[in-house]
Parts: sequence; structure tokens; C-alpha cells
Amino acid sequence: MAKGESPLKQFEIKPIMDLELFGYDISFTNSSLWMTITTLFIIISFTLPFLKSKKTNSVEDLYPSRMQVAAELGFNFINNLITDTVGKEGKKYFPLVFSLFMFILFGNLFGMIPYSFTFTSHIIVTIGLALAVFLFVTILGFVKHGLKFFGFFVIPGLPIYMLPLLIPIEVISYLSRPISLSVRLFANMLAGHTLLKVFAGFVSALGFFGILPLVFIVALTGLEILIAFLQAYVFAILTCLYINDALHLH
Amino acid sequence: MPQLEQVEFFISQLFWLGVFFVILFLVLTYFTLPKIRAFLNKRDEFVQSHISKQDELIKKAEQLIENYEQKLNEAKNQASKIIAEAKESALQDSEKLIKATEDKIQQEIKNTEERVSKEKSLAIEELNDQLKDSASTFLSKITSFDKGNIKV
Repeated sequence: MAKGESPLKQFEIKPIMDLELFGYDISFTNSSLWMTITTLFIIISFTLPFLKSKKTNSVEDLYPSRMQVAAELGFNFINNLITDTVGKEGKKYFPLVFSLFMFILFGNLFGMIPYSFTFTSHIIVTIGLALAVFLFVTILGFVKHGLKFFGFFVIPGLPIYMLPLLIPIEVISYLSRPISLSVRLFANMLAGHTLLKVFAGFVSALGFFGILPLVFIVALTGLEILIAFLQAYVFAILTCLYINDALHLH
Repeated sequence: MPQLEQVEFFISQLFWLGVFFVILFLVLTYFTLPKIRAFLNKRDEFVQSHISKQDELIKKAEQLIENYEQKLNEAKNQASKIIAEAKESALQDSEKLIKATEDKIQQEIKNTEERVSKEKSLAIEELNDQLKDSASTFLSKITSFDKGNIKV
């Protein structure tokens, strides 16, 4: 770390190409660049292994390649996740959860590459994703249940005189879903990357004894990769639970 | 913190997030995931068809074993029947033979007895004659009577 450089500098957005649309600044930035890389990587790595089949109808076609096994692993992981939490009718929402999980997972993982940029460490990005999930789930609830969806805020089997107290609490907890969802992901990414940068500063500052923070950084990098996966998983499973709530109310 | 300071890039970030997430979602939904699902289904079908084929073959083998056992049992039954029949006929034959032999022996005994009795009577007659002769000679010797004068 250069002298006087803040550990937060890694989160700085640098425009690559200045663009404008209807008077709004939509510059293509380093954040957008890593979104592009993530999107392309996911599409290519999940599509390519499945393009080769259909040539013949032999048994050899059914043996998966290495890439294919990895892709199937991701596919089955999310498939099991949604069938375990939502059930059979959750299959319709599988592509959404799959896209969310993969987008966040590879956004987090590519952020671990030195000199790259972690777009999930930006609150506006995570809020965008969380709000999309929140709006989708709310609209889904209204489409499935109509006005009965408001019954979601009434806990069944509760005495009537408790309702004035509990309905506001339920409403607030429902409205805070996108906030908790977005802040959880954002804060985890921010804290991890900042911590790595701070300890990286110690390595150069301590001279020979910098080996100690260096060892720590190696361990911490492993932990960060775990967190990258974990946060994507948490985001996906919470989305599944919200979908389940919208489909089944209580 | 750049996340909260660089407000001027909020719209740009949201815009590109929307663009890329929608692209990712659409491509995955309508192209990649159906392909993966189709492939997995194809493999499942293949495995399932092979399992059912295997079940069929196992059933066929079981049927064959059953048939074989049935035939084996039939053959065994037939064999035991034949053996029993043979035993019976052999028994009957031997009984017949024994009876015939016994009859023959009986006949022989009867014949022998008849012959013996005949010979016995013959011998007695002869003895009588001899006795008569010897008696008349004895008398004629002591009395010197004519043989023809003696009445016995």
C-alpha cells in the first residue's frame, strides 16, 4: 500500500467510457467491466459444456466432461436448494434464484483477484439486487393471493387485542427485508476486503516481521473465499424463503 | 467511503447492473438452463430405461428358472412312476414264477407219491406172491403134498 492511500481506495469507481442516456450519466466503469466479465463467464462456463451433445445418440454422449460436472454441480445445488425450501412449485423460480446465486457468487469470487473490482461491495448494487427480489416477491404474493396477501401480516392464532401492536412490527420487518438482504452482502464484502488491505499495509510497514501478517493474509484470503460463497448462498436461500412466503403465506 | 461518496455513479451502476443481470437471467432462463435440464433428463431416461430393461431381463431369467424347475420336477415324477411300475411288474413276475415253481414242485411231489404208492402196492403183491410161493414150497417140503392141493 502506497503511503497515505486509504484501504478504501480499492472500492473507488473509475469510469472507463463516458456515456449519457436521457441526460443521465451511465458511464461504463470498472464496476460495469467486472459485471460484464462475471456475466460472460457464467454464460460461457454453463453453456459451453452442454453444446457438444446431440451429435450422436451413443452412450459416450451421456458421460459428462469435467466442465459439465462442475456445471451440473451448480445446477443441482440450486435445484435442491429451491425444492427443499419452496417445494415442487418452486421450479418456476429456479432460473431467478440460479441467476442471482451465480451472479453474486462470481461477483464475489472475481473480487478476490488482486487489482480486480468487487461490484458486490457497493451498497447501491446490492440494494438494486435486493429491491429487485423484494419487488418480485411482493408482486408474486399479490398475483397469487390478491388482497389476501395482506393476511401475511396477521399471525394466525393471536388474540385480537395484540394485532395493533404486531401488525406494524410485521410490516416493518417485511419492509426491512431488502435492507437486511443488501446490507448483509455489502458489509461482508466491504469488511473482508478492507481487512485484507489493512493487513497488506502491515506487511510492508513491519519489514522482516511482515511475514506474520502475510501468513495471516493467506489464511484470511481462504476465509474470504468461503464468505464469498456463503454470502451468495445466504442471498439465494433468503430469496427462496421469501418466494416460499409469498406462495404459501403462513 | 467511495460507496456512499461517489453518488454520481449510482445511476450508472444500477443501469449496468440491470442490463447485465437481465442479460444473464434471460440467457440462462431461455437457453442454458433448458439445455442442462434436457441433458440431465436424457441421462436419467437412459439410466431409467436400462434399469427397466435389466428388470425385464431378470424377470425373464426367473421365468426360465421356473420353467426349468417345473420340467425337472415333471421328469423326476415320471422317473419315479416308471421305477414304481417296473418294481411292481418285477414283483408280479417273480410272484408268478414262484407260484409256477411251487406248483411244479407240488406236481412233482404228487407224482412221486403216486409212483411210490404204486410201487409199494406192487411190492406188497410181489411179496405176497413170494410168500405164497415160499409157503407152498415150505409146506411141500415138510408135507410133501402137492403144491396144488394146498389151500391157503
